[in-house]
Amino acid sequence: MPGPLQNEAKQSPYERMLQECVRGELRIVNAGLPKNQERLSNLLNEKYPCLPCQDGSSHLFKKAELEYLASILDTDEQKALPLPMLIELGPNQAEAAVICEGTVEQKIVSRTLSMPVSCEERRIRIYKPQLALLRRKLRTTTVYVFSPKIVG
Amino acid sequence: MPELVKVRPTKIELVKLKRRLSLAQRVQKIVKDRLSILTMEFLQTARDTLEAKKKLLDASSQLYRALSIAAGYHGYIAMGKELTATERDLKVAAGSRNIAGVRIPSFELTGDGKSLKGYSLADTSSWLDRAAQLSEECLKAAVELAELQRNFELLAMEINRTKRITNALEYVVIPGLQATISYLNMKFEERDREEKARLKRVKVLVARG
Repeated sequence: MPGPLQNEAKQSPYERMLQECVRGELRIVNAGLPKNQERLSNLLNEKYPCLPCQDGSSHLFKKAELEYLASILDTDEQKALPLPMLIELGPNQAEAAVICEGTVEQKIVSRTLSMPVSCEERRIRIYKPQLALLRRKLRTTTVYVFSPKIVG
Repeated sequence: MPELVKVRPTKIELVKLKRRLSLAQRVQKIVKDRLSILTMEFLQTARDTLEAKKKLLDASSQLYRALSIAAGYHGYIAMGKELTATERDLKVAAGSRNIAGVRIPSFELTGDGKSLKGYSLADTSSWLDRAAQLSEECLKAAVELAELQRNFELLAMEINRTKRITNALEYVVIPGLQATISYLNMKFEERDREEKARLKRVKVLVARG
């Protein structure tokens, strides 16, 4: 064990590196989120459907996925659906929540998972296996959001 | 035994250390959550990569067979002449998407609505149509596999990096901070006891006069 404690300024390079890693980690988890959401109907009309992200990159949507969503929804619902859909990761590691504005997201999740889902407080709660299934079918039309509640 | 953080043994440092510990624990929570998401995505990508590879191999073998039959039917020279007319550039839309902080590429074969069948339908057989159809499937599968394989590599690298951070937090940083906090607490308690003993001694001396 090291003797009497010394000055903090004399931190080991290892510890400094760890602190840098930790800072970087906090910075990057939500950096890739799109700046805004776009309606499905608008994205369907674009040649290369994409959205700018907060870190300067662009989020490209796959046309096949957009067409899949369009096949589930009618015209009014297509105008109401904001994309990408946000999947919030909360403090409880076993479950995630799809943030929804209305019933359109509920319809999509329900149809994709082939099971009824309910929306409570603008959140559709799903478990990890269901999340994997949802992400498999909707890879580019959903994104993860690390909720501040995790660190709260 | 965890290594102690090098700080001065003062109450202010103790408060700072407690703050650092709570920050480290919160960060550990985020990193663990991120790791579980990355692992889930990695496993999914691995499964998809395997499927895409299988699809590409199947499509390639079928295409080879179809082309062989078409070549046998038309002859190499006639088929080559027909296919030269259909040559065109492929367009792949490339972008990126983000999975829990990992920027991964996304490719999509974008056709302008035309298929690869640009040859004369009157002079060719259905064998060539079949070969053209299979070659389109093959191309799609190749682009999909390219995307998945790159995603697979990037996710694996990120998982490694995140795992190192998680382990460092779990086995070095947090135990080190906890050990230092308990060391400082013991030191302050010891100081209090010394102070108490000194006061008692002084009291005795004053009483003696």
